[in-house]
Parts: sequence; C-alpha cells; structure tokens
Amino acid sequence: MILSAGATLCLLALSSCGTNPSTGGGSGTLTIQGDAGNPTLVQNFNPFAGSSLHGTFLIYEPLEIPSPIDGSYTPFLATGYKFTDPKTLVYTIRQGVKWSDGKDFSPADVVFTFNLLKKFPALDTKAVWQQITSISASGNDVTMNFSAANVPFAISIAQTPIVPQHLWSSMSDPVKDANTHPVGTGPFMLDSFAPTQYSLKKNTNYWQADKVAPSEVLFPAQASNQSTNQLDVVSGKFDWSYNFLPDVKTTYVNRDPAHNQYWFPPGGTIGLYLNLTKAPFSDVNFRKGLSMSLNRTTIATKAVNGYMDQASMSGLILPNLKKWLDPSLPNQGVVAQDTAGAQTAFAQAGYSMQAGKLVGRNGKQATMTIVMPGNFSDWVAAAKEVVQEVASVGIAATLDLPQYPQYSQGIQAGTFDAAIGGYGGNGDPYTDFSLALSSTFATPVNTPTANNFERFKDPSVDQALTTLASATDTSARTQATYTLEQAPITTTRC
Amino acid sequence: MRYIGRKVALFVITLWGAITLNFLLPRLMPGSPVDAALGRLASSGVPITNAERRAVEVQLGVPHGSLISQYGDYLNSILHFNFGSSYSFPSETVAHTIGKAAPWTLALIGVTTIVAFIIGTLLGVYAGWRRGKTADTTVTLGATFFAAFPPFWLGLLLLFVFAFKFSLFPIKGGYSPGETPSLSPSFLADAVYHSVIPAVTLAITTLSGWVFGMRNNMINTLGEDYVTFAEANGLRTRTVALLYAARNALLPNVTAFGLSLGAVVGGSVLVEGVFSYPGLGNLLYIAVSNHDFPLMQALFLVITVSMLVAIFIVDLIYVRLDPRVRQA
Repeated sequence: MILSAGATLCLLALSSCGTNPSTGGGSGTLTIQGDAGNPTLVQNFNPFAGSSLHGTFLIYEPLEIPSPIDGSYTPFLATGYKFTDPKTLVYTIRQGVKWSDGKDFSPADVVFTFNLLKKFPALDTKAVWQQITSISASGNDVTMNFSAANVPFAISIAQTPIVPQHLWSSMSDPVKDANTHPVGTGPFMLDSFAPTQYSLKKNTNYWQADKVAPSEVLFPAQASNQSTNQLDVVSGKFDWSYNFLPDVKTTYVNRDPAHNQYWFPPGGTIGLYLNLTKAPFSDVNFRKGLSMSLNRTTIATKAVNGYMDQASMSGLILPNLKKWLDPSLPNQGVVAQDTAGAQTAFAQAGYSMQAGKLVGRNGKQATMTIVMPGNFSDWVAAAKEVVQEVASVGIAATLDLPQYPQYSQGIQAGTFDAAIGGYGGNGDPYTDFSLALSSTFATPVNTPTANNFERFKDPSVDQALTTLASATDTSARTQATYTLEQAPITTTRC
Repeated sequence: MRYIGRKVALFVITLWGAITLNFLLPRLMPGSPVDAALGRLASSGVPITNAERRAVEVQLGVPHGSLISQYGDYLNSILHFNFGSSYSFPSETVAHTIGKAAPWTLALIGVTTIVAFIIGTLLGVYAGWRRGKTADTTVTLGATFFAAFPPFWLGLLLLFVFAFKFSLFPIKGGYSPGETPSLSPSFLADAVYHSVIPAVTLAITTLSGWVFGMRNNMINTLGEDYVTFAEANGLRTRTVALLYAARNALLPNVTAFGLSLGAVVGGSVLVEGVFSYPGLGNLLYIAVSNHDFPLMQALFLVITVSMLVAIFIVDLIYVRLDPRVRQA
C-alpha cells in the first residue's frame, strides 16, 4: 500500500460504494444486503473469526468505533480514553450495561477478552499483543501498558469486540467455535437463522435502546454473481446495500428518486505502485517523469464513471482527512499532468525520446508491466488509461491480469514492475502512513510483506513516524503528519 | 469373467491415478489459501496487515509439511472418508458442506439430464426418420441454433426477462430466503418453482447434443438391410422406426448418457453460478477461488469417482448389450 515516497502516484480516491434508500414502509424491518451465501450461509457469529457473518457486529460491541472517514471516535462500551503517558492507555468503562442474557457487563469482561487474544493468537487479528504488555482493571478503568510509545494504536484496541467472560471462559476452542448462540451487549440479538437468510431482533435491554429504530434486521444472502446482486438492488430488495452500480443515477436513483439514494464516500486511495528495488523505478527522476505524464482526472473518470476524484499525492484521503492537510502544499498535493516537465525529468534520469520511444542510456526503450487482479474491473479500466498515457511519452507498458491470489503473492514478494493497489482508509493518518512507508515492512525481494510493497525506505520518514506515534497532543500530531505528507511528494519530485 | 477382472483392475489403477492428480493439481495453482482469504477480506474493505496475515494462517491451519507427508495424510484421510474441515467454512466438516449441496445438484442437473436425453432422443428419431423433409430441417436447424447458446448466457437472458422484467420467477437461489430445507410439500413446491429457469436453461442447451447424435445414428441404421426388409414386409411405419431402427441406433447414445450421468455430480459451475443455486457447481467455484484444498480435494474426488463408476457400469452393461465386446 503505497503511495510512498517513492513511487507512488495516487490515481483516484476509491469510493466504498453504498446505496442506501431510506427504510420504506415503516414496517420496522431493515433489510441489509448480507453476506455472500456461497452456496449457502454458514451460521458463524464468532466475532474474531474471518468467516463470521456481518450481523455479528450488531450483536457485539467494541470499546469505541473509529470512523474510517475522519478517524473520530464514537464511544460504546467505554465512555472515553486517555493516554496518561505515550505508553499507558486508560479506558473508562461504561456502567449499567447488560449482556443480552441479562447478566451484568463489567470491566472484567474487557480484561478477559484481551487476555483471550493473548492466549489464542489466531484471534488477535490486529496484533494487539505485539503492542501491549499487560492489561488490568481497577474500578471502572481498564489500563493497558504498551511496550513502546504508540498513541495511534488506540484505533486497533478500540475496535476489539468485547465478549462475555461467563460464557467464553468455558469455550473449549474459541478459534474454531462458531458461536451459534451469540450473547453480546449490542443493539440486536439473533432471532432466526436459515441457510439463505438470518434475522436479528432488537435487544430491548440495550443501553441506548431508544436510539434503535428497527425492531428487526434481515440479512438475506447475496447472490453468487454480481449482476444478480445489481438486479436485486435495483428492484428494491434491500434497504441498505454495498455494491458497484454502473451509472448509478440512471440505473438506480431515477427509478424512485424520493427513496433511492446513494453515498460513495472516498474510502481509500488507489495508486500505481512502482517497485523501488528495480531500475528504472529506483530512480526518483524517472518516477517524477512518470508521475507528471499522467492525467489523474481522466484516469479517475474512465475507471469509475466519474464516481471518484483524483487523489492527492500527499497520501491523505480528501476531503475526509482535510484537517490533517498541510496548507502549504500546492493544489492540495494533487499532481497535474505536465508533459514538458516529464520530459525534463526523464532527461535527468538519462532517458530521451527517439522516434516516439523513450530510450535509456543502454539504448533500450523503457518498459513496464502493470499487474492487478483481472476481475477488479475499475482498477483494470484505470490501468488501461495509464498504459495509453505513458505510451504517449514513449514507455511501452503492458497489463498482467492474474487472479487475486497470484497478484497478492507477486506484490508481497516484490517481484513486480508496477502494480495497481489500494491503500489507506483507516481514518487515521498514522496507520495509513505507517503501513505504506515504514521501513519495517520493506523486506528483501522474495520475502513476503503485507504492506509497503514498493519497499520504500527512508530514515527521516521512519523518524517522523516514531514522532507521530508518541505525540499525544493535537499540535504535535499535526506537525508530524505534515512532515509525512511531504514524503510522497518530495521523493517523486526532488 | 476375465473381461470383468481386467475391467476391475483397470478401474482401481485409474482411481489411484485420479486421486493422485486430485492431490497435485490444486497445489500447482499460483497463490495460497492465505492469500485467497486475505483477498476476500481486502475486497470487503479491511486493511490487511502482517498481523491479519499471521492470524489467518493460524485460523486456517494451512499445512506446512512436505508434499510427501501431506500426500500420506491425504491418502489416509480418504481411506477413512475423513476430509477434515474446509478453509472457506471452518466451522463445518467438508463432508457436511458437500452433503448440503449435493441434493440440489443431483435433483436439478440429474432431472434435466434425463429429461433432455428423452426429449432429445425422441426428436432425433423423428428427424432421422423424416430425413430431408421439412420436419428434419426444422429440428436440425432449431437444435443447431440452441446449441450455439452458451448456457450461462442463455441463463442470464432468461433471468433478465422472466425473473426481472416480468417477475414471473425468483431471481436467485434454490428456495425462498428464510426457508429451511425440508421434505414438506410447501418447501418442495418452493424449490421446484425456483428450479424452473435453471432447468429450462440446462435442458435447452443440452438437448441438441442428443438430437444430433440420435438423428445421425438413425440415418445410418435406416440404410441397413434389415430395415429395408422390414419395410418390404409391410410393417407399420411406427414399428419399423421405433422397434427396428431406433432400438439399434440408441446404443451409442446410451453410452454417452451413462457418461453424462457421471458428469452430473460435477454440477454445472456456470449455470449454478448465474442462478446462485446452492449446489456442488457453486461450491466447486468457491473452493477453487479460495484455494480451499480440503474442499477441492473432496469435490474432485466425488466427481472423478462418480465418473469412473459410471464408465465402469457402462462397460459392464455393454457386455450384455453387445456380444462382440465379450471376445475383445
């Protein structure tokens, strides 16, 4: 996930595509496009399992929920948190909450849940225990001690779903257990389960029950193919759904403009990753030339019917994270197409135009193979436009469209030239920047890494990340974020 | 007996070969089950970290041993009919997952295969008997026309017109959302209602194969002396067509029918995919896209074994149908 300093060219802001008509009819039933039922749903409400059903998250609650849009926190089982120092995090736990079986919820459940993750590392999907060394409760407070200063890590702790000690302590294998009779603190409880649909009913003892409008939530299984899902959405089968719809105004909104609405928030950045371990992409001037050759507006338009916007080269998702944007960045960090500038940059990298081809010092034309999963149609559309645009500056680019697992293996091992990839969308600049730019992820080629596929390394960026990690007050965090925003821009431009 | 003994030996060797290939092929696919699982998470918008990756590895229990030791475990588990739990549905055993999907495929594809065979063969007899006439031209042209339709495309078309535009049939699935499969009349009626478009799609596109095969066999058989002799003797037209010509012309079609029944178990991946049908074809697609080795192995095993058994039975039946085979 990189936009890194190095190499990254942000193409467009990805929207998580959601269509959400208002609940019609007033029946009190909310129908949400549910899980992929392939071929049928499997009852699994284990909140730590990768295969748990979506409804699980209306049954269990975490301490706080961070917004992936702007990183702000909404308190749930905690009423608030504070760092007493950059290595000590204290949550104040809400009083008067009950589990849906009537038993009282207490800070001991929180401590139990985190210790469960320690005992079963397979449940610890956020690697909480890589960061914290101990957890303890006293009164209404739960205190966590960190091994190193990492203020932004609260985002991972806050999202951990809390489970009841009185039921989970007797579970023999919480990793495999499907938890078919979930008991949580959340707004809904499991009502019925069938292989193609399950329903949740309102938890009348919920601590903020007055804020919950529907008395029932239905999750019908998705179809196994995207076109049937689209037909289901268009024919009004769902109140809420999450889909890509081509030309959404005509195909969806116009059918019932009073009720059919959509919201495509920018949910991440799609970028062109360049492999910094390979020539010519290791040369910053070449990257700079490449970056200036691209018309990001056209790319965004062609990829997704104009649903998204060009992305800022700073690596921030705009407008969501605008409060973190360094006001001194020209044009909010969006790089404009500049063919003449690109030629100058290529010349500095030792490349020149000869008969329509960009030829290097070795007399060979610059080439690049861009890899992406063949079924991600919007990425492929964006990449095709990139190929055309770089062809006009003389680079011979080709597309490689394997299945996702093969794509993922290639970018993790670092064996690609260029790749289309997504990054960010955590709502928190530190997490986004750290995953993208931290040299700890920059493993040697052929050693897989889950982040920083470009293998970007820069000691000053690592330093800025450390500073940001230990900053507890807003102005220090803002300053450290500004520094990080410069990294993607200056390294492509220096 | 020697013939049967040889067939049994051949059956066992082929079975071993199929089982071994079945083990190797999934492992030759690029990428790993962990990558596939992370891909699913990534496409639902979850940022993937190294921690997520480690957790998924532990959750799936992806095998780390050498290929040889995995092969040993695999053979051992097949002998005990124990296929473990799948990566895609970790809380269920593979046998349970397949058991839930199998009836749907057997009913839908099995019934349509039989119906298509009967109708297609009868049409073929008719076209062959009236060779060169308008009836023959109509049937042959019609069959050619429908044979050219890819089943998934025809499926999408029927789905769009009859399920979406006119809302005559449900748009997806094997039964209504919220129902639990049972043998009650109301559930069976619901299931039949859901199977109409998929069944029509499959029947239309597979019909033509039987029509062509039967028609051409008929024309060959009609040239035989015994048919001319029967006609010369003044037998009724229908008697000659059905009892003399068609009966002999049917033999090759019966072989093909046996094989296609063996193939029923594999389901129709594309058609089940289009209709989100809860059958084996859909399951196979999931298994392959998730790199779900345990599920894939068990499915391929079921498919190859049922195919081999079908071939074996056809071989045995042939001994009775055709005396020349016994000498071979």
